[in-house]
Amino acid sequence: MRIYLWQWLVVSGIFGTVLFMVACGNNGSPTPGPVSACDLTDIPYNPQPYTIVKPAHFPEIFIPADNPMTVEGVQLGRRLFYDPILSGDSTQSCSSCHLPHGSFTDNKDVSVGIDGIAGRRSAMSLLNVAYVRNSATSDGLFWDGRSKSLEAQALKPVEDPIEMHNTWPNALAKIRESEDYKTRFRKAFGITACEDISQELAAKAIAQFERILISSGNSKFDQYLAGDNFALDDEELDGKLMFFDEGLSNGLQLPDAECFHCHGGLTLTGNQFFNNGIDSAGLLTDFKDLGRGEVTLNEWDNGKFRAPTLRNIAMSAPYMHDGRFVSLDEVLGHYIAGGKPRPNKDPFIHPLGFPMQQGTQTVYTGFTPYHKQALLKFLHALTDSTFVNNPDIQNPF
Amino acid sequence: MKQLGLILFSMLLITLSSCKDKTTETPVSDYTLTFKATYNGQPLEKYKYYDYSDYKVRFSRFNTYISDVILLKGTEEVKLSDVEWVDFTPDDATNNLALEVPLQFQATEGTYTGIKIGFGVRPDLNAKRPSDFPANHPLAKETEYWLGWKSYIFSKVEGQGDSNADGNDDIFLLYHCGSDAVYRSYTFNQPIVVAPGSGNSVEMDLKKLFTINNQWYDLRIPTNQYTSNNPADVTVATVLMDNLVNAVSVK
Repeated sequence: MRIYLWQWLVVSGIFGTVLFMVACGNNGSPTPGPVSACDLTDIPYNPQPYTIVKPAHFPEIFIPADNPMTVEGVQLGRRLFYDPILSGDSTQSCSSCHLPHGSFTDNKDVSVGIDGIAGRRSAMSLLNVAYVRNSATSDGLFWDGRSKSLEAQALKPVEDPIEMHNTWPNALAKIRESEDYKTRFRKAFGITACEDISQELAAKAIAQFERILISSGNSKFDQYLAGDNFALDDEELDGKLMFFDEGLSNGLQLPDAECFHCHGGLTLTGNQFFNNGIDSAGLLTDFKDLGRGEVTLNEWDNGKFRAPTLRNIAMSAPYMHDGRFVSLDEVLGHYIAGGKPRPNKDPFIHPLGFPMQQGTQTVYTGFTPYHKQALLKFLHALTDSTFVNNPDIQNPF
Repeated sequence: MKQLGLILFSMLLITLSSCKDKTTETPVSDYTLTFKATYNGQPLEKYKYYDYSDYKVRFSRFNTYISDVILLKGTEEVKLSDVEWVDFTPDDATNNLALEVPLQFQATEGTYTGIKIGFGVRPDLNAKRPSDFPANHPLAKETEYWLGWKSYIFSKVEGQGDSNADGNDDIFLLYHCGSDAVYRSYTFNQPIVVAPGSGNSVEMDLKKLFTINNQWYDLRIPTNQYTSNNPADVTVATVLMDNLVNAVSVK
């Protein structure tokens, strides 16, 4: 039987096409096999452990066993975080809404996606976001806690129609065309072929970068905690005492501001969910944004949102989940007044002052403008400009 | 003869080692302590108004640390755990019923004469801070540490009340007990059986907690509505932690 050249070419072409399709159809975990559209095994894979730098008084950070921190992983994650390649039209990156100078917020009331459509919530600060997993009772990112881990969270904005408005297959196709990314994914995760680059690995790398967004420990508050008794002036110190409900200042009783119950610990957030009374609601179903209730489907969670960190709060205006307050002065005004009535308002949201019994009711008095000013000054003492200027977390492009 | 001696010596060794094995082969079983939050004997329901004296209260958060869970057998003590954190009202619960929190331990099978449970964080551990513990440790929880007091928050009970039935909550219940002075350890003398599949429940009843000497603790009095922010004043926390002995039952 004679085989003509054209027959041989057709058969080879079909065979090659099938092989190519099989190889490119796999965008999950690495699968051993002889066929690959691009072989990366010539690139050395020798990941170096990354040690997270954190202030000594900060707690340990939970690192998931399936995503250990490596130098190569953090570097890759940093590039992906700042690279608009992940968005549908290559105009927006994670950093479009999480910029260093805003303590990894965008300083907008609500964020706007690639199509110019405004979202419904403000971008949360990523400062110390690694500690979300350390929180007491919650395990959730976003304002409503819908993602359980940084790795799960990083997957979502890419396909959100209001944010990056892309698909992961499209994003991955662009990444796989980049020689630099192919090399970096190989070095970070040991993949053997470029089709092994997956959304899960991209999310892992971004999560690794986000885990290094840790306070420097150089804020005035941190200096005070480290033993410098003069780091806070008298007003800031009074603000701190009220913030943490510590009571006495030079023998005088200060009113509790109750802040630390929701913004507690060294990260100044417990990452828990609270209804802080910013809207009136006669019924639990009256909330415009259900917040946590959208996730748990428990109507008593409606209108609850994750308490954000107050570290660098002076840099991350505007405030609340919808950015309704443009200044900290407004925020304090809200809390001093005790919030608006709603069935599931947190008990800590009550008028600030000294509680007194009036008939059968409790009223609060004695919270003065000085107290407000002291709180405001303490909030400014939480500013950590060393963190936002840290060269290791800036845009690498 | 020499060979016979060797054989006898070998048999002796085998016998001795076999006896040793028998003495160390004490069966060990899982033992589960299930913590339950109740109000008047019924499972606690978050946000539900409960009749309280002649007004109403409801609760939104309840959690507690426990330390030194110890089984007793006469004078013998078998420690099951150093410290645990029990959260009846986690944020990710999908309904308002307080969660039952099972803690699983292992202990030598048998019948014990009682169980001792510390409520709060025992002083040597309370002297530490969250940064002293690995991330998954119960004492690594930043939210459960009060910087101002340099103490863990041993227990949190939060809620609200409506003193005059006008539909508006005007009572804010904020009990965060902490500091070494209010750490309490209580012994429950009753048979505790450890056997395969065995366990007991520890019920913590909030109605009983706020019933002091058979009287309602008056929650309309402002100073009764919260634990003091002054580390030197643990009056309310002491009242509650002392009364745990009446509010907790092991079944």
